[in-house]
Amino acid sequence: MRGFLDYLNSAARVSRRGLGAVLLAGALSLGAAPLVAMHAKAADDGPIIVVSGPLSWPFFAAVKQGFDDAAEIFDVDFQYVAVTDTANMTSDYPRLLQQAISRNPRMLLVGEFFPDGMDPLIKEATAAGIPVLIHNSGQTLWEQNGSIGFIGEDPYQMGFKAGQIQAEGGVKHGLCFNQVPGNPTVEARCTGYVDAMKEAGLETTYQTIGTGDATNPQAMLQAIKGTLQANGTIDGVYTLNAVPAMSALRAVQEVGRAGEVMIGTADLSNEVLEAIKAGDIAFAMDQQPYLQGFLSIQTAKQYLDYGLHPIGAVTTGPLVIDKSNVDKTLEVNKEFSGVRGAS
Amino acid sequence: MTSLLRRPELGAFAAFILTYIFFAIVTQGAGFVSVNGTAGWLNLAAELGIVAIPVGMLMISGEFDLSIGSTVGAASMVVAIATSFYGMPIWPAIGLALLIGALIGLANGMAVVRTNLPSFIVTLATNFIVIGATMGFSRLIANVTSSSIVSSDTAHAVFAARWGQANISILWWLGAAIVGGWVLSKTTFGNWVYATGGNMQAARGAGVPVERVKIILFIATGVAAAFVGVLQGVQWNSGNSTYGQGYVFQAPIVVVIGGVLLGGGYGSVAGIFLGTALFGVISTGIFYTGWNTDWIQLFLGALLALAVLANNYVRRFALTARR
Repeated sequence: MRGFLDYLNSAARVSRRGLGAVLLAGALSLGAAPLVAMHAKAADDGPIIVVSGPLSWPFFAAVKQGFDDAAEIFDVDFQYVAVTDTANMTSDYPRLLQQAISRNPRMLLVGEFFPDGMDPLIKEATAAGIPVLIHNSGQTLWEQNGSIGFIGEDPYQMGFKAGQIQAEGGVKHGLCFNQVPGNPTVEARCTGYVDAMKEAGLETTYQTIGTGDATNPQAMLQAIKGTLQANGTIDGVYTLNAVPAMSALRAVQEVGRAGEVMIGTADLSNEVLEAIKAGDIAFAMDQQPYLQGFLSIQTAKQYLDYGLHPIGAVTTGPLVIDKSNVDKTLEVNKEFSGVRGAS
Repeated sequence: MTSLLRRPELGAFAAFILTYIFFAIVTQGAGFVSVNGTAGWLNLAAELGIVAIPVGMLMISGEFDLSIGSTVGAASMVVAIATSFYGMPIWPAIGLALLIGALIGLANGMAVVRTNLPSFIVTLATNFIVIGATMGFSRLIANVTSSSIVSSDTAHAVFAARWGQANISILWWLGAAIVGGWVLSKTTFGNWVYATGGNMQAARGAGVPVERVKIILFIATGVAAAFVGVLQGVQWNSGNSTYGQGYVFQAPIVVVIGGVLLGGGYGSVAGIFLGTALFGVISTGIFYTGWNTDWIQLFLGALLALAVLANNYVRRFALTARR
């Protein structure tokens, strides 16, 4: 569950149930896969079906907004398919994809969140001649499964960029704080961060917390505070979501090292943006979910009408938000609630 | 002396002292025992403790409440949407949040006493229903699932004031403990709570209004959870539907560490208080050690198991010693 689970670091409900469940469910749906879509074909009058993330998460609300806006501009109809109950996503998503394929769609726009269960189905669909465009998650898979392209971010590169910014900013010892251990996407960000710091010859510490505390800002504050106390040389913190970013800020202030520790984070919230404006947080990284939806519809339209499409992956992240562009972001966030996937 | 030994909190007290000494030694030089370090674990324990006390009293009466997690998040979102989306002043919004907490508690209580289903299942269902409704309505109304809170000076003073690094939540925790302890040990209602959890049929026969006792405790739990949601929301200037999910099991855990019997009928507020403090020390102190955090849950689990064992041993020793 790659980029999809990005958002779990703020939601953090499903990831807690663990990778084990992900793998198990993935294996089960893999077994069922060959039965599906045997007679599926691309029908010219079929629907464009989008299989994407749950709308209860602000991140996917922004993706959906992009789909909606583009559909209106390009005069395209589409159907958005997603789970409403996030408890069994690893088995629900392959099933939803299966159902979408069996409806003979004109085109499929898919977030490949659970590759174990979803990749065989995508291969079936592309083999049957259904054009598939991947968004958000699946950046390492789309070339092998016959899809026409990928629109989204690479979590490793996102973390790597954060590490580079901190290294250039003079950080000597960076802390990557992962509040949802066991989530591969989120871990890829930390891995990227650690690699970038190591490349610059700098020291890093990787910290996690107990799974029950992923949504408790007080617990994250105390955890980061403790680590900063135990390790006086840490002068850079990278958090993977907006909530721990605010905890990190408080922790740095409480240990009396405000201004000495550079804080950067993945994802946005209004609080984080205000802190960037005030100079307390150095940067936040945005993977621009709105664009993932918008560009998917645009590409679908142009592919279906003219046979045109971008070659290779389209990267929507990370957009680095720092003091130089924070005002505009805050303005947009106030005027168009939900478009940035943060509030 | 024997009456002291028979108190349910003795085991928790011993476990707390041992754990604290352990961390004081292994974190030497990292500032865990400093004023600011102490404020840190107290802040963490306080928020959990405010909700753990009514949860513990409910458990003494023989019932569970697992819906507290979602109630915390729901209350924070009610305040956030009311203040930032509808522009409502914060105090009415807080009143509304607490009222919703009370209604969730009332619904739990009514469902449990009317259906006689295990409260474990009933409130687990409520936990899903409440977080689902919070997210659904938040998206419907404001297109968000987390949102800023527009606070006021008075609200900030009541819920987020600080002395040095100690939060006002510590005082609220102490207040909840004093009120809870008084109710449980000095009032008729307190006796009813023990009687209801000890033997419900006998209690009913003796004229204890067991249904009312349970419903009142469910309401108190809902209000306390909503209170913590408001407190976290004002403190962090932000409402989030997922706040509090960790409390679903942390609260019953600290209650049991504090010497309350899982089946009900036995326990004390002082014990719950110490159990929460112990949990605060373990889950904060572990980071001051600087150990590799990949192992953190293993340490946490092992230390909790040890604390409960020590607690149990001391209690059994105390109960046999009285003969």
